Amino acid sequence: PGDEATGESGSNWRYAHEEFEGDVQDVFAHKFKEYIEQNSNHTLQIFRFGELGESDDIMEQTQQGILEFVNQSPGFTGSLIPEAQIFFIPYLLPAEEEYIVDFFKTSVAINEMFPELYAEQGLELLSMYPEGEMVVTADEPVRSPQDFRGKNIRIMTNPLLSETYRAFGATPTPLPWGEVYGALQTNIIQGQENPIFWIQSGGLYEVSPNLIFTGHGWFTTAMMANQDFYQSLPPEDQQLIQDAADYAFNYITDYIPGLGDRMLEKILDSSDEVTVTRLTEEERQPFMDSATQVENRFIDMTGERGKLLLEQFKADLEAVVGD
Amino acid sequence: MALIMLVLMITLLLLGFPMMIPLIVAAIVGFYMSFDGFGQMNTLIQQLLGGIRPAALIAVPMFILAADIMTRGHSAQRLINMVMAFIGHIRGGLAVSTAASCTLFGAVSGSTQATVVAIGSPLRPRMLKAGYKDPFTLALIINSSDIAFLIPPSIGMILYGVISGTSIGELFIAGIGPGLLILLLFSIYCVIYATIKGVPTEPKATWKEKLIALKEALWPLGFPAIIVGGIYGGVFSPTEAAAACVLYAIILEFIVFRTLKLIDLYKIAKSTGLVTAVVFILVAVGNGFSWIISFAQIPQAVIGSLGIHEAGYAGVLIAIAVAFFIACMFVDPIVVILVLTPIFAPAVASAGIDPVLVGVIITLMVAIGSATPPFGCDIFTAIAIFKRPYWEVIRGTPPFVIILVFAAALIMMFPQIALFLRDMAYS
Amino acid sequence: MSHDDIPSGYRSGLPGILGIVDYGISRVESVILAAGVLLMAINTIANVVGRFVFGESLFFAEEVNRILIIMITFAGIGYAARHGRHIRMSAFYDALPTNPRRILMIFIATFTSLIMFVLCYFSVGYISSTYHTGRVLPTMGIPIYFIYLWVPVGFAVTGIQYALTAIKNLRSKEAYLSTHVIDKYKDPEIEL
Ligand code: NA
Ligand code: NA
Repeated sequence: PGDEATGESGSNWRYAHEEFEGDVQDVFAHKFKEYIEQNSNHTLQIFRFGELGESDDIMEQTQQGILEFVNQSPGFTGSLIPEAQIFFIPYLLPAEEEYIVDFFKTSVAINEMFPELYAEQGLELLSMYPEGEMVVTADEPVRSPQDFRGKNIRIMTNPLLSETYRAFGATPTPLPWGEVYGALQTNIIQGQENPIFWIQSGGLYEVSPNLIFTGHGWFTTAMMANQDFYQSLPPEDQQLIQDAADYAFNYITDYIPGLGDRMLEKILDSSDEVTVTRLTEEERQPFMDSATQVENRFIDMTGERGKLLLEQFKADLEAVVGD
Repeated sequence: MALIMLVLMITLLLLGFPMMIPLIVAAIVGFYMSFDGFGQMNTLIQQLLGGIRPAALIAVPMFILAADIMTRGHSAQRLINMVMAFIGHIRGGLAVSTAASCTLFGAVSGSTQATVVAIGSPLRPRMLKAGYKDPFTLALIINSSDIAFLIPPSIGMILYGVISGTSIGELFIAGIGPGLLILLLFSIYCVIYATIKGVPTEPKATWKEKLIALKEALWPLGFPAIIVGGIYGGVFSPTEAAAACVLYAIILEFIVFRTLKLIDLYKIAKSTGLVTAVVFILVAVGNGFSWIISFAQIPQAVIGSLGIHEAGYAGVLIAIAVAFFIACMFVDPIVVILVLTPIFAPAVASAGIDPVLVGVIITLMVAIGSATPPFGCDIFTAIAIFKRPYWEVIRGTPPFVIILVFAAALIMMFPQIALFLRDMAYS
Repeated sequence: MSHDDIPSGYRSGLPGILGIVDYGISRVESVILAAGVLLMAINTIANVVGRFVFGESLFFAEEVNRILIIMITFAGIGYAARHGRHIRMSAFYDALPTNPRRILMIFIATFTSLIMFVLCYFSVGYISSTYHTGRVLPTMGIPIYFIYLWVPVGFAVTGIQYALTAIKNLRSKEAYLSTHVIDKYKDPEIEL
């Protein structure tokens, strides 16, 4: 697919992701590119958000073989691989930065079960990595499900995410991304959730200044290749791609811890209104209790396979956090 | 490849093909050349459908529907009569009110196409009746709708803010000054035009007449209340406000005024569907065309070859203005902002230009480019709604484009027009 | 605005059984167009009412509108072709005398028809690929290929309309924009 010869035996490969310049997926892509180009004659062209369409579009283009590589967050992959929505279940990933990297490195679910699910769709899963802790912003600090009552919280359109916020006591309100800033400003919605670097770059703290660290999840993403393309490559190129993905993964897992703090600092520097609320262990408990409701919904949607995946996730979490 | 596509497109356009054909043929050729054959046409279809996917587009047919109901019933007429009772005796007053209404409606609704329909369709016949020529009227409606790009909430500014890491709040505030400046310049032109062409004024209405007109317009005044109050007051999103207008229009015309019957609703819905389809098919093919331009990295190639990094402060600003203007003449503004903003970012940084100022200039250029032939959604909308030939719709455009370019030059020379309010708010 | 002067009693320009089929298609198109717009209005209004009265948005509202907008657009392009309402830049074309204009219109209509059939073919390919990936609408779970079925039909109907326009122009002395619309703009409507 789409290989134009560039110099002796080198090909030009195309890679699309869902974020803007300098965001986590863009950093990952450029590290991947750096390794490929330094260790082979191949070149890599990176396309950012919107340049080739929306998230579903670039995924389809990769399945078609127009693109060799794509980065799509499992949440968006739900329309293709329902099980990928497991990352929306609250409190399934460790809240603490110290555990999250280990979790992604050691999880059997992520490293063994997910590649099989992606392969069914003609995709070679190369890496799954965390982008940042999900942070809720709201018009006032929230510490309990009672505080969430009557608040419209903007979410991406997804049934499991709706279930989560309903379980939290809020009113989930699906809204296209372009309307979020304006809707917060005019108080149509009273809050939203996003990783902190999005809250910073999208300026959402300007109109929704109370940051709440609920510890309920990490924004997770996945990077993959078109499987026909990947399998048509000679073994040394397959190894090159695996090594490049590992190289980018290792870079990102050093980069992520601390990124949240740096972004939070930026936010606090540019606004006096911002408040930061971190839920304590006891404050988290009622939110954690409500997770069962979401898990049941997930199993309804995905059946036996989803159930197995969920059990493995919990075992993996246990293995990392221990007691 | 870019050259072949451009020549083909312009040739087919000039021959008088339906507007979707030049765009789609250029896109097919682009795909054929990029992928050595017809093997990847799935993606062209995917992108056609992607063009009409955004949820925000729903506001367009909803505002068209509401406007059509109002215009066929009595609401629109009563509103206009009220405005005329107050400003009918002023020379150019109707044109100025049209410009102001378009700006306000566009700013609030966030959709310039909906503005052309909702404000243009009731006001255009009135302007023609008052003695304004059609090309002037059409160009006024299209161009003043596009001022709305500058006034918050503005999707273009949000996108630019996120991509360039600029505060969206600051961008919003900075857009207001230039937006009002352009409205002022348009208004001056309206008065000059009305004076030169000797557009007659109406006799000044007495206070009693004004009161009656106001009373007549009491119910229909709910529309501006829903739109302006509803959106800025945080009750509705733009799409919701559009739906609320439809509901309100149905209640007024079918129940309160009883001007329309149920069978009329069927006819109105059909004509709304027709107008929506002919505009949206162009949005769709425009998206397919934009995709292949972006995939082939044509903008990067063109701009990279110019060497703007050494152009200095004024040079970079002018290069940005020209690039966005030309790109928006042919390609969807959203795609233009997504693709070009990162390309210029390093030059902006090294020349030390305030990114808020750049955002304002870019948004203004997007506005100009969208109202400028050959391709512009608002032009298409005007053709579809008013059923006038392409040539007549664009003939009155040049004075407005000159004013807009003049305004852009003013803002580049005196950045305080944009930054004054921002500096006050954020110092 | 457009006091839409599309005559409600549309008569097909075609003879015999073809005329009846054509008339049938035109009626179906009108009903789809009007129903699509009205359903969209009902859906969007219900969503607003739901949020205010029950404090909850309709989760499928966005996806229903996505389905309807495809339906409206692709039923509409055939309808627009039938009534000569597609947007074109006709400045040079308008300047020609009747006969060359008629001949140019034969060329335009034939080529446009061809492109529409090509797009119809491509869109069948796209639909079959979305059928194979099994992609669904996230909330409603409806397969995506299902909501795209209008697309090839819309292109095909439009292609047929332009083909008929070419034939109509071959057989007549005037230039026709579509099978029954003579190429003339009316004067600006100043009434109201
Ligand atoms: Na605006
Ligand atoms: Na344009």
